[in-house]
Amino acid sequence: MSLLEIHGLSVRFGGLSAVSRVDFEVEAGSLVALIGPNGAGKTTAFNVVTGVYAPSDGSVVFAGREIGGAAPHAISALGIARTFQNIRLFRSLSALENVRAALQGARRSGLRDVLRLARWRAREEAAGREARVLLDELALGEFASARADSLPYGEQRRLEIARALATRPKLLLLDEPAAGMNPAEKQALRELIRRLRADHGLTIVLIDHDVSFVMNLCDRVVVLDHGEKIADGPPDRVRRDPHVIEAYLGSDATVAP
Amino acid sequence: MRVRSLLAVGALLAFLALLDLAAPRVLNPYYVTILSRIGIAVIAAASLQLVNGFTGQFSIGHAGFMAIGAYASAALSVYAGAAALDAASQIVPLTAARWLYFPVLLVFGGLVAAVSGIVVAVPALRLRGDYLAIATLGAGEIIRIAILNIDAVGGARGFSLASSAHPGIDLRYESLAGVFGVAALTVATLARLVYAGGGLAFRAVREDEIAAESIGIATTRVKIEAFLVASFFAGVAGALFAHSEGYIHTNSFGFVRSFELVAFVVLGGLGSLTGAILAAATLTALPELLRGLGEWRMILYSLLLIATMLLRPQGLLGQRELWPISLLSRGTK
Amino acid sequence: MENLLQQLLNGITWGSIYALIALGYTMVYGVLKLINFAHGEIYMMGAMAGYYAAHALGVAGTPSLGALLLVLVVSMAACGLLGALIERVAYRPLRGAGRLAPLITAIGVSLLLQNAGQLVFGADPKFFPALLRSEELVRVGGIAVSNIQVAVLATALALMAGLQYVVRRTRFGRAMRAVSYDAPAAALMGVPVDRVILGTFVLGSMLAAAAGILVGLSNPKIDPLMGLMPGLKAFVAAVLGGIGSVPGAMVGGLLLGVIETLVTAYLSSTYRDAIAFVILVLILLYRPTGLFGAPQTEKV
Repeated sequence: MSLLEIHGLSVRFGGLSAVSRVDFEVEAGSLVALIGPNGAGKTTAFNVVTGVYAPSDGSVVFAGREIGGAAPHAISALGIARTFQNIRLFRSLSALENVRAALQGARRSGLRDVLRLARWRAREEAAGREARVLLDELALGEFASARADSLPYGEQRRLEIARALATRPKLLLLDEPAAGMNPAEKQALRELIRRLRADHGLTIVLIDHDVSFVMNLCDRVVVLDHGEKIADGPPDRVRRDPHVIEAYLGSDATVAP
Repeated sequence: MRVRSLLAVGALLAFLALLDLAAPRVLNPYYVTILSRIGIAVIAAASLQLVNGFTGQFSIGHAGFMAIGAYASAALSVYAGAAALDAASQIVPLTAARWLYFPVLLVFGGLVAAVSGIVVAVPALRLRGDYLAIATLGAGEIIRIAILNIDAVGGARGFSLASSAHPGIDLRYESLAGVFGVAALTVATLARLVYAGGGLAFRAVREDEIAAESIGIATTRVKIEAFLVASFFAGVAGALFAHSEGYIHTNSFGFVRSFELVAFVVLGGLGSLTGAILAAATLTALPELLRGLGEWRMILYSLLLIATMLLRPQGLLGQRELWPISLLSRGTK
Repeated sequence: MENLLQQLLNGITWGSIYALIALGYTMVYGVLKLINFAHGEIYMMGAMAGYYAAHALGVAGTPSLGALLLVLVVSMAACGLLGALIERVAYRPLRGAGRLAPLITAIGVSLLLQNAGQLVFGADPKFFPALLRSEELVRVGGIAVSNIQVAVLATALALMAGLQYVVRRTRFGRAMRAVSYDAPAAALMGVPVDRVILGTFVLGSMLAAAAGILVGLSNPKIDPLMGLMPGLKAFVAAVLGGIGSVPGAMVGGLLLGVIETLVTAYLSSTYRDAIAFVILVLILLYRPTGLFGAPQTEKV
């Protein structure tokens, strides 16, 4: 059984069909890329998996459970975390606070904390340590007290990943993690993603425009175009698929030789 | 660490006791009233800050919850408290009975207000931004008009804190220690709530609801919680107000009062507990102290509001805190 | 039956007042996405301006249609100017500063006008001069129709028709609509957004001023705080109709006036003020975008 199964997923907004009858599966421990030209429906698919939108048709099954239409916070509790295409950090909070907000304890009621006098300090300190560990792991240690919106762009992207990791997910969805990065940064990001997958035992699905970015990174590539799946397989095969090449002709993505 | 906080609490208690002993002897009763009003304004403003500043929801009908706390506690006192105190005074000295009753009336006012807070919040929080603001405004007005039409609490004539059946029982509390003690407790509770542990959830909801949901925060529940706590303390403030003034009328709880509270919170800095406290204290005290400013008080408020939005929209302190609350707020960084 | 019709007539009369004020709210919200809390005070200023104008121009003692029109024009001009001033000084600097700051500023302006009004005009109510000698014009069946009611309805309808013309048939109206659909795009198309917004404020304020005069005609007691309740209620009317929609504001205003009058007449008068808010709550719960509004979705 795959960790994530998407069956016949369709998402419609009024008259617009953003996603049409898409099927794919993600095996536990794999690294899958979801690519396609602009407007292909990739982020919409992410939004359905994470509960931001409900499916108009079809089902989304995670670890054997149907999650289509569930609330985002419930889905997060089940073990799915994500980053956003247009970075959504808690801007006036510090980097440390951004990560701490995602730790287990933050999701519990603040009210209960007020009444619990004795052990809260110890738990506070433990949470702080855990958050710092995550920040260090993503080379953000020096920015712990800095406001999230004061961080350089690349650091902000990594902070979003650190925050997502703080929820201890089984499945991590990265939406255009490499957007706006130069080749050196992209290489570093590739290394980071590989490392995170290994160290945290994650299953990762990432969206990106850049076909060459995903080529050496992912086990499998799923290609969407105009809301439909047009290819699904190992990178080498997908790259040579005529439908994929046709879909990308004229867009600003690169198809590496 | 523990010893230090115990010492601090001890010092506070001593100060409060001194205040109660000294104030009536040293200060003109008019100034005692002002100080009392400052304490109440601080509680109300701090409670609103939780919703508007920390959770980022635009609530502009907060005086309605004060009204509920005021009237509920006043009704309790007049229709039950007086009798209870009368009976109790046969066994224990009346002063002791009154002090035992004090927290009861406050908690009662707070709880009734909290219930109304949920009743308002659950439907209202389906809305965002401007629409939420309008809904809270409407709720505040509905509450005020509803109370106005209840004869048992005086209706249009207002409500006097006196029981005709037990005329010897004084239901008023003119203790500054009471007001400031409750204020200190309120601020401490709110500061803990926001700056320790789960409190990050409030600010996460303020910053970005979608991101907050994505990390497992049930945003609607957090917002309702904020309303719940805020309306509780607003109710407490209302109860204090009723029992220090001795007479209440719905005119004190209209949207002008709500706007005043919004002014405190915004001028102090949305997201700063200390800011709200400072603004509430200053803007309550100033017009009272500066003689002849009476009519100009609201003109002052409004000019200050406008000028602040134009020149310094983050208010006095923005999101920063001053000592001692900053100890808590910096703890998470 | 006659009583019902009489009440309906009263309701429509009041409703058209609400509609005139509501139009200002809705137009400003349409172009700026701002709830101009100070709008109710413009209505009050209209009544006050009319009062002072009537006395200054010497027509206070001589009721006539001409007197009414003169006072109307003067008041509308004065308030149009006031609206423009407020926009220029208090709201324009905050363009692009998010939604919260302008809203709070609007509250500040509202408080300022109320309290300055109390200071300058005195808190005691004044008596608006009778610019038309009240007489019963007709009796249709058992319904009395006074000339004042006719004047109010006629003026309100004329103004609303005029506004419709401006919005639908003039370049300015087109520009206004463009800005309310998509201000940045309109700017790119060469629409002078700043001037359009200013003009919107002027129009809305003029209508509110007219409402103030018409109310002065029918309910002569005026005071600096008279804008609070009608302002809020007109706002509810705008929300009822769909905030941002011009026909919505007209329909919402009329509806609110009728419902309020009927409920007051047949159920209870003590809850008169509460009705508007109950309607508000119901609308927000079940159809927040109002009768004529369109739902919005957020892109993630």
